[in-house]
Amino acid sequence: MANNSNGLELTVQGKEKKGGSIVLKIIIYIVCIFLALLSVLPFWIMIVNATRSTTQISQIAISFIPSTHGFNNIKILTSKDTFKPLLGFFNSFIIAGGSTILAVYFSSLTAYAQVVYEWKLRNAFFSFIMAIMMLPAQVTMIGFYQMVYQIGMTNNVLMLILPSIAAPSMVFFMRQYLQPALPIEIVHSARIDGAREFFIFNRIVLPIMKPAIATQAIFSFVGSWNNLFTPMVLLTDKKHYTMPIMVSLLKGDIYKTEYGCVYMGLTLTVLPLIIVYIFLSKYIIAGVALGSVKG
Amino acid sequence: MKKFMACALSVCMVAATLVGCEGSTPVTPADPADPADPVVTDPVDPAPTGTKGTINLWAFTDEIPKMADYYVANHPDFGYEIKTTIIATTDGAYQPALDQALAAGGADAPDIYAAESAFVLKYCQGDMSSYAAPYKDLGIDVDKALKDADIAQYTVQIGTNPDGDLVGLGYQATGGAFIYRRSVAEATWGTDDPATVKEKIGGGSGSWDQYWVAAEELKAKGFGICSGDGDMWHAIENSSDSGWVVDGKLNIDPKREAFFDVSKKLKDNGYHNDTQDWQDGWFADMKGEGEKEVLGFFGPAWLINYTLAPNCGGSAVGEGTYGDWAATESPIGFFWGGTWVLASKSAIDNGKADAVAELIEYITLDATKDGLQYAWANGTVDWDNDPSTPTAKDCVASGTVMSISSGELDFLGGQNMFDVFVPANANAKGDNLTQYDETINGFFREQVRFYAAGEKSKEDCIKDFKQNVADNLDVIVE
Amino acid sequence: MKKKKSYDYARFGYIFSIPFVVAWCIFQLYPILYTLVIGFTDLKGIGTKNFHVLWTTPFANFTQILTTPSFQTAFKNTVFIWLMNFVPQIVLALVITAWFTDRRSTIKAQGFFKVIFYLPNIITAATVAILFAQFFQYPKGVINDVLINLGIFKNGAVDMLQKKWVAQGIVIFIQTWMWYGYTAIVMISGVLGISPELFEAAEVDGANQVQTFFRITIPSIKTMLLFTLVTSLIGGLNMFDIPKLFLNGKPDNSTLTTAVFIYNQAFAGSYLYNRAAAASVIMFIVIVVLSAIVFYLLRDKDEVALRKLIRQQEKAYKRKQKGL
Repeated sequence: MANNSNGLELTVQGKEKKGGSIVLKIIIYIVCIFLALLSVLPFWIMIVNATRSTTQISQIAISFIPSTHGFNNIKILTSKDTFKPLLGFFNSFIIAGGSTILAVYFSSLTAYAQVVYEWKLRNAFFSFIMAIMMLPAQVTMIGFYQMVYQIGMTNNVLMLILPSIAAPSMVFFMRQYLQPALPIEIVHSARIDGAREFFIFNRIVLPIMKPAIATQAIFSFVGSWNNLFTPMVLLTDKKHYTMPIMVSLLKGDIYKTEYGCVYMGLTLTVLPLIIVYIFLSKYIIAGVALGSVKG
Repeated sequence: MKKFMACALSVCMVAATLVGCEGSTPVTPADPADPADPVVTDPVDPAPTGTKGTINLWAFTDEIPKMADYYVANHPDFGYEIKTTIIATTDGAYQPALDQALAAGGADAPDIYAAESAFVLKYCQGDMSSYAAPYKDLGIDVDKALKDADIAQYTVQIGTNPDGDLVGLGYQATGGAFIYRRSVAEATWGTDDPATVKEKIGGGSGSWDQYWVAAEELKAKGFGICSGDGDMWHAIENSSDSGWVVDGKLNIDPKREAFFDVSKKLKDNGYHNDTQDWQDGWFADMKGEGEKEVLGFFGPAWLINYTLAPNCGGSAVGEGTYGDWAATESPIGFFWGGTWVLASKSAIDNGKADAVAELIEYITLDATKDGLQYAWANGTVDWDNDPSTPTAKDCVASGTVMSISSGELDFLGGQNMFDVFVPANANAKGDNLTQYDETINGFFREQVRFYAAGEKSKEDCIKDFKQNVADNLDVIVE
Repeated sequence: MKKKKSYDYARFGYIFSIPFVVAWCIFQLYPILYTLVIGFTDLKGIGTKNFHVLWTTPFANFTQILTTPSFQTAFKNTVFIWLMNFVPQIVLALVITAWFTDRRSTIKAQGFFKVIFYLPNIITAATVAILFAQFFQYPKGVINDVLINLGIFKNGAVDMLQKKWVAQGIVIFIQTWMWYGYTAIVMISGVLGISPELFEAAEVDGANQVQTFFRITIPSIKTMLLFTLVTSLIGGLNMFDIPKLFLNGKPDNSTLTTAVFIYNQAFAGSYLYNRAAAASVIMFIVIVVLSAIVFYLLRDKDEVALRKLIRQQEKAYKRKQKGL
């Protein structure tokens, strides 16, 4: 907060004196570098501590230089029964992947119905999607849990995947994207060529939507990957534990604590995300910006 | 319409693909190729397994699963495959999962499940007791077996359901002692002899008076007497006369209420390192790496092999604090913890009663030298075929076994721990446990820490404690 | 052919919308209604299949929740924590936006900074919560070590997480830290979408950077700000992962949010589904009402923007899309 107001003041000063703009720039860079450090530092400490032994950490908890106990920590960690990074990744991948595929496909389909066809309830349905976009999922959890429980589907990952067929905000986004991007003539000419509606959507429209699908897929995937609440409630069988659930259980193997292992466990969950993020950052940042078209 | 069919078909196909790759996991019990299941890949187990079916075993540590595997490995004709589910009790994760699995029933329901003393009553006598199968319905001759093995009475008392049938038994005896660092005692009083230390801390005196004197003496030498207030809490909690809930109402036993002052006294005088049990600082004190070295910990024999030994920073005399320990009588007798083994009624419904009974008898009632308890007490269970990792010795529930076992431990500098722990087992009783202990203890201890830190008055703490219980549990608070 | 088209194709509008509607009814509408019903029953305890509607005292669960001090505390905490993270988050985001979109002085490495600022948001919240809990360990932990070495803690380690305001402060910090980057990127893209003529005109009129920012930039992205407000509000009122895993509501319920409260009621201890459902319904109403108010304000003050937003977006969005 202090930084912000300073920054604003300096903006004012920079205005009045031409030479002040260099000072302002320096301030801006300092603040930005400070914020960047703040973003990276916790993860750096985590990664460093993941390579240090429990004794090293218990003597000096903070260090910026990696040590050599990383493999040892991994060994101890994976010998514990609760933490299985590969299984967690696999489960999270199935759930996040499955729900992402369903979400982008059916959202595109619903959006397509909005854009291409003239039907009586079209506008009403769109208003309805706008309205339910804001409904929070978490407060309906008790009812959802009871429903799943009564039909004996707890510990069934389908219950975490299928609900994403109805993703109102994604429909909204897809519609906004499709409206200007889809020349209706293409649809018409495809029909003249004898293509069926479903074929047109799958073969002609979906490829046109690729950029929007990529963006939304990334967010849907990350959102589902990071979701803790729903899996924690529904999945009680450790075979199905997702990465966040395993992380949540990392805090204590009750009879023995290894500082290094906790950090290593966290690191194993974070590193893949960071690597993927670095590779896709261009698209992700563009996607965040694009998503803002909403407003 | 054709298009609609195509659409519907594609939905089905997507769904089917998902079922195909996911649904197979729950259906196939313990796929041998599944790397997730350490039990199945256990190299010890060369016997043909799974011919008769699977036994679903739920536990909160790997201990009972290991016992079961050990049994299977040594009894090739057992014929069942053990499918384990282990969920740590951390953050209360175990109970909800177990509850749901029991309530759901079916083929995947737990057949054998473990319950810790903090919540065993819920499964034996409380909300979940209707799921537990009486041992006699499994075909176990309970009365004879109990008599032959001379099982500690409190274990039986806790494991008996409201109908008077035995549904759960432990394999340990969890009478507690004071387990101290010999070097610290030596530096303070010039001797590490258990009898002298007992005198110094007022062991067996029934009051804490002498203990505080010792604390002051230790402080003068720069030592703490214990690691955190949690150490004394376990001694106080399990020596109190009544439990947290009496007739559905919250009840604060005077001995437990007095813990407010005990905790404050420890903190104000710097008698401890102010750690919390089961957290990093607490474990650090076992290595002697805390802020100051502490004399000892209150605990039963299991504390030695589960907690002190793995966290002492070594595995042989001279490494870390290994060998620098001894046990002596606590000022106030108490017991702490213990694991009970229960069988579910669905195990009987699914026709697995014989196998379940076989395992349960092996773990809890077999007092012969072939039974688990003998190996457990003498530390001869070598379940990973790795002589470098021997199991520790522990007190077991069977008096018969204890009378033929030796508790000498290198970890305790050669002391025979049974000399201390066997008499302490007399302190164990089941009538101050309640099914909500885990949760209520959490609320209580949090408030005590506030009081000790000087953040709130005792009255406010008690008020907030009561409020938390009332708001979160189905318990009447007056 | 032409006749057939207008008469024939309309039904695909319905058909293609069916999966969405069906999934929504099953996975959202039904649970909402079911939650509502449970709120009026005595459903509690694990494995309970039979429960009864409380005909004589239908609102018993609701009155009980509303008079429960823990729920009141949780509600206050939730609002407080959300507010205290939203304000600095939006201010920080706007400052970054002002800096990064200033037409007169270009900041280099913007792309890099955006990527780094957004980084915490991509990381699993559960991981972040446990990481911070680990940092603040007492008596041995990263933060304690640093503060002792800096000479700030002169009397040894301090159990910071026992102080209510510290615990709340850390949760607020984590939330701000995780979200300011996202908000900033959204704002920047919004500003970049503003027609350059507006800024040129302002420059010609001699407005300085500060004036331009407050007179041109902020009003132009007002819709976006309000949208951010609503989404953040809903997210904030459902805050769960960080408070649950960081301290599970401790110390003394100071980081207990309503979502954690509901979870604990339903899935820990006594399985009080009825009370949890009542609390859910209350939160549901709060969120719907607050969102409605915000949207109403938006409608009232900027009818044009609203029409753009909901009814006739074609033109507006074509332009915006091209602008991007």
